[in-house]
Amino acid sequence: MASQQREGFSVPASISHAALGQVTTKSLGVKYNCAQCASSFSLGKNDAIRCKDCGHRVIYKARTRRMVQFEAR
Amino acid sequence: MPSAQFRTLEREKRFQNPPKDHEEIYPLLKDAIRPHLGSFNALTDGPDGGLLNLAVKDIGTKTIFDTNDNSTSDRLGNKLKIRVDSVQLVKPSVNSNDKLSINRKMLPYECRERMITYKSRLLLKVSWTVNDSPEEFSEIREVGQLPVMVNSNRCHLENLSPEELINYKEESDELGGYFVVNGIEKLIRMLIVQRRNHPMALIRPSFGNRGASYSKFGIQIRCVRPDQTSQTNVLHYLHDGNVTFRFSWRKNEYLIPVVMILKALIETNDREIFNGIVGSDIKNSFLTDRLELLLRTFKQYNLYSKQETLAYLGDKFRIVFNATPDVSDIEVGKEVLKRIVLVHLDNNADKFKMLLFMIRKLYTLVAGDCSPDNPDATQHQEVLLGGFLYGMIIKEKIEEYLQNIRLQIQADINRGLAVNFNDRKYMSKVFSKINENIGQKLQYFLSTGNLVSQSGLDLQQVSGYTVVAEKINFHRFISHFRMVHRGSFFAELKTTTVRKLLPESWGFLCPVHTPDGSPCGLLNHLAHKCQISTHDSDVSTVAQCLAKLGVSPAHTFAAGPNVCCVQLDGKIVGWTSHEQGKVVADTLRFWKIEGEHGLPLDLEIGYVPPSSKGQYPGLYLFAGRARMMRPVKYLPLNKKDILGPFEQVYMNIAVTPEEITNNVHSHVEESPTNILSILANLTPFSDFNQSPRNMYQCQMGKQTMGTPGVALVHRSDNKLYRLQTGQTPIVKANLYDDYGMDNFPNGMNAVVAVISYTGYDMDDAMIINKSADERGFGYGTVYKVEKVDLSQSRRRGDPITQHFGFGTDAWPESWKEKLDDDGLPIIGVKVEEGDPIVAYFDETLGKTKVKTYHSSEPAYIEEVKLLGDDNADQEGQNITIKYRITRQPLIGDKFSSRHGQKGVCSRKWPQIDMPFSETGIQPDVIINPHAFPSRMTIGMFVESLAGKAGALHGIAQDSTPWKFSENDTPADFFGEQLLSAGYNYHGNEPMYSGATGEELRADIYIGCVYYQRLRHMVNDKFQVRSTGPVNSLTMQPVKGRKRSGGIRVGEMERDALIGHGTSFLLQDRLLNCSDYTQTSICRQCGSILTTQTTVPRIGSLATIRCRRCAQKLESYVQKHGYADDSDIWEDGQGKKFVGGDNTSTVAIPFVLKYLDSELSAMGIKMKYNVAPC
Repeated sequence: MASQQREGFSVPASISHAALGQVTTKSLGVKYNCAQCASSFSLGKNDAIRCKDCGHRVIYKARTRRMVQFEAR
Repeated sequence: MPSAQFRTLEREKRFQNPPKDHEEIYPLLKDAIRPHLGSFNALTDGPDGGLLNLAVKDIGTKTIFDTNDNSTSDRLGNKLKIRVDSVQLVKPSVNSNDKLSINRKMLPYECRERMITYKSRLLLKVSWTVNDSPEEFSEIREVGQLPVMVNSNRCHLENLSPEELINYKEESDELGGYFVVNGIEKLIRMLIVQRRNHPMALIRPSFGNRGASYSKFGIQIRCVRPDQTSQTNVLHYLHDGNVTFRFSWRKNEYLIPVVMILKALIETNDREIFNGIVGSDIKNSFLTDRLELLLRTFKQYNLYSKQETLAYLGDKFRIVFNATPDVSDIEVGKEVLKRIVLVHLDNNADKFKMLLFMIRKLYTLVAGDCSPDNPDATQHQEVLLGGFLYGMIIKEKIEEYLQNIRLQIQADINRGLAVNFNDRKYMSKVFSKINENIGQKLQYFLSTGNLVSQSGLDLQQVSGYTVVAEKINFHRFISHFRMVHRGSFFAELKTTTVRKLLPESWGFLCPVHTPDGSPCGLLNHLAHKCQISTHDSDVSTVAQCLAKLGVSPAHTFAAGPNVCCVQLDGKIVGWTSHEQGKVVADTLRFWKIEGEHGLPLDLEIGYVPPSSKGQYPGLYLFAGRARMMRPVKYLPLNKKDILGPFEQVYMNIAVTPEEITNNVHSHVEESPTNILSILANLTPFSDFNQSPRNMYQCQMGKQTMGTPGVALVHRSDNKLYRLQTGQTPIVKANLYDDYGMDNFPNGMNAVVAVISYTGYDMDDAMIINKSADERGFGYGTVYKVEKVDLSQSRRRGDPITQHFGFGTDAWPESWKEKLDDDGLPIIGVKVEEGDPIVAYFDETLGKTKVKTYHSSEPAYIEEVKLLGDDNADQEGQNITIKYRITRQPLIGDKFSSRHGQKGVCSRKWPQIDMPFSETGIQPDVIINPHAFPSRMTIGMFVESLAGKAGALHGIAQDSTPWKFSENDTPADFFGEQLLSAGYNYHGNEPMYSGATGEELRADIYIGCVYYQRLRHMVNDKFQVRSTGPVNSLTMQPVKGRKRSGGIRVGEMERDALIGHGTSFLLQDRLLNCSDYTQTSICRQCGSILTTQTTVPRIGSLATIRCRRCAQKLESYVQKHGYADDSDIWEDGQGKKFVGGDNTSTVAIPFVLKYLDSELSAMGIKMKYNVAPC
């Protein structure tokens, strides 16, 4: 618990744009992976939840390609 | 002494290239769950088509007429005979409406992830004939989807190799044996029940409660039909010497004079009955007197022939058995005998003989010539297996199904609908009208553990049949499958006799592995080599062998304990003398182990020798299912024998080869560790510990934060614990590797110093080296899964109104920090309390809403799974979110060694301040020496020594118990190893203070001990409150950690505060910090309920007046003629009053107000006298 309750993380000023995570403005789209065949695809808003390749009924959300930055304390 | 191995390369290779052969799965692990799998497989598999097909055969045919039963005419109408011809269970597959799925198999992992049930279609072939015509119609009906056991013969995972299992997203060594119900792994737990088909002599005072003449003596037999359903028969001894036969049918008890049953079974006479019970003991007047009475009292019924007796019985039981008018009383009587009396035998002559034997045993018991049998001894117990119980329930549901058909037709007749049995359309209509979902009923059974049954299934409890197979760690998981429960009926029993550990259980039930506390001794675990038979062994040659050995046939003139009765699975197969009986038993054993006479190896040969007032003698052979069995070595042939608990009692089995005495021992144990369960075997050097400590370890091993499995990605358990830095123990029993425990590490090797060093290690506290912590010692993770179901608030059939994702309305941009465009959280993002975890658009409100994270503990989003539905015709409404909560060891977390030595981390001590040895070793863990003297866990010292020697030489150490002796001590064995590595023989070392660098005055005992991190962590337990929610009725703080409530200062805490004289503290706790309130009181009338605030007048403050003491303005003016304007006050409704101004403010607990109002509601006034003090 102690580590999270230190003084909040402030973004260093001298860091590049990439590290600042400012690429977020560019939409990368959300990808999904099939639990059965592991194929990667994207889903439309009103699509039924099915793998586009094998028709499987469980799909995983893929890890974001965005930068995720944590305070390393 | 053979040493253990690390097998690191072997393990790594196995992980990299999982074996392609299913034989490669750890055989011992497969054996461990075999009772579950075998019993389930037996339902559909076997020489006679499986138990389910036997069951429908036993159910038989139901007869239905198409006229009303109550019609007085002789015409019965058309006759429909309907039966279930066969049962079929297919393998789980996806819904047939599903047109998208390429892979049509439904696999268990999908059911876990989608939180659905792993089930498959159950098909019944229903056949019927009309008016006994030879033409038979049949139809295959689908009666719902039945939950299927994972890895069974109805599962896709059966006989798969580790490689294939991994492809199916399972553990490489998935064992199965459980069901997946709503995504939760459930198993039917094993129950101890009375041994089947063996009459047991009982003395039970409660037998006397049945009536004035009933005595406490009885003979009880639990008869099991071929389909594994059972029926218990009891013979009661009456004080006058008579014997009554008792049974339960559909939860009602019935009593029949035993002679009536004897006479109904076969055409017999009194002479035959007399001879069959008395035999040659005609001098025994106790017996002959009672026989005379038994036979004489029956004369009052005036029943002489078999037909007469059957008709009499049939007449009495016609209603109970729901018999139709077309069957005669005699037929009904036969049905009674078939379904009730000694149902394990199909021949009436056999039933007759067995009943005579039971009567004789009862008289012998009453005369005191034999002792009662102990129902709590394993000798008279067997195990009710999950699969068999499952089959029993299915059977009952199928019978109910047929009954429902009859009721439906009856209803049609009553309603005046056209009933035409010859019309297939009509029959289809009947089928479609009744509830055909048997699968759902079994799903209910599995998910709740409640037994809904008409007959009660001859069992003593209605709930608690299933448990969740929790995957906290592998120890916990595997233990579930070895667990046998005595029955929840015994949990309420005040006597402790059922809980006692009996020596008879050696090798069948583990003496160590039982919880302490309320389930102690009731919840046992099987010894690790104990197996339960799940198939009937082939006994076709037994009769032949017995004949060869000179056993006279069953119909010979013999009875009583003076001759040796030979029984096979509850059927009398012969008689012999006691001397000969012993020889027969010994020879049979020799033959079965030799294997040349076609006798099954698992034949149980229970020879009970004649004794003075001991157990009723005889030779009892058992080869049926559900028996406990275990392997031992047979000395004459030096071959494996399989023993059961019935025969073990009368055998001499040496525990170790050294112990064998000539002409005494016939067997020797394969290993003394066969007495222990899997978990008890894993406790290192448990033979050096005080026994309760080993029990504690068995409990704590199951609470360890370990490795639940490796296919965690494909699981959606509500809560999962995982140790990140698991290691293989240096000190381990050889069985550890045989059970493949390295696939699921459960702890870490730690350098442990036994020293009182800091003052923070008092009283079972332990100190962890801060640097060890930072290197990952004990680092763990908790995974929690939350299911978001948008369709929850929607009714079935309604259109979808809530959609995942963002709407077009305005919503806070800050949501996008945690959520992606699809409204689902970004994988890997950190969420804290109140953060959005999912956004959805609500059509009816036209607004985008979020669900927020509710836990004070921050977590990371590990996985987001989108769950499809069966038909793929709707957009997704279900997701699961898996959170990862980091749990580094904290002060207050619980740890333990493997010796029942638990402790709480009290400090993370900086490494520079830790003591160090001459070689510069600093301990990871410091424990206090006071943990040892009273607990006597010498095993922990030995482990420390062995671990140290193992670490120094780079070898694994075998810690199997009973490997050392007085002459070959572990202290010496490992001491020598330490010496050769240049260390102190005793394991002590001089150490230096980390703070001052000075050498400590005493040598410190330091070594390597395997430490487990237990799942009890402060983060789940701490409770603090300054102010917070209060109960609205009493205004007192609420209770419960979840609601941020307080901790009660109870009666005893109050006593302590009074005892200390700290009255202000008491005042603070009980009043100020609780429901302190200020309230106004009327000094005149002493009430706190009648005061109220006045409506303030312009220019003045509101005042408090007593309404009760005030007078209405009008009546005041009438009396006094005048009211001063300043005396008049007004209430909220504009009514004006005068007076009642003698009020004051007092501090009271708010509950007093509540009490007062409750009392006033009952017409009781409380008056308070207020005075300054």
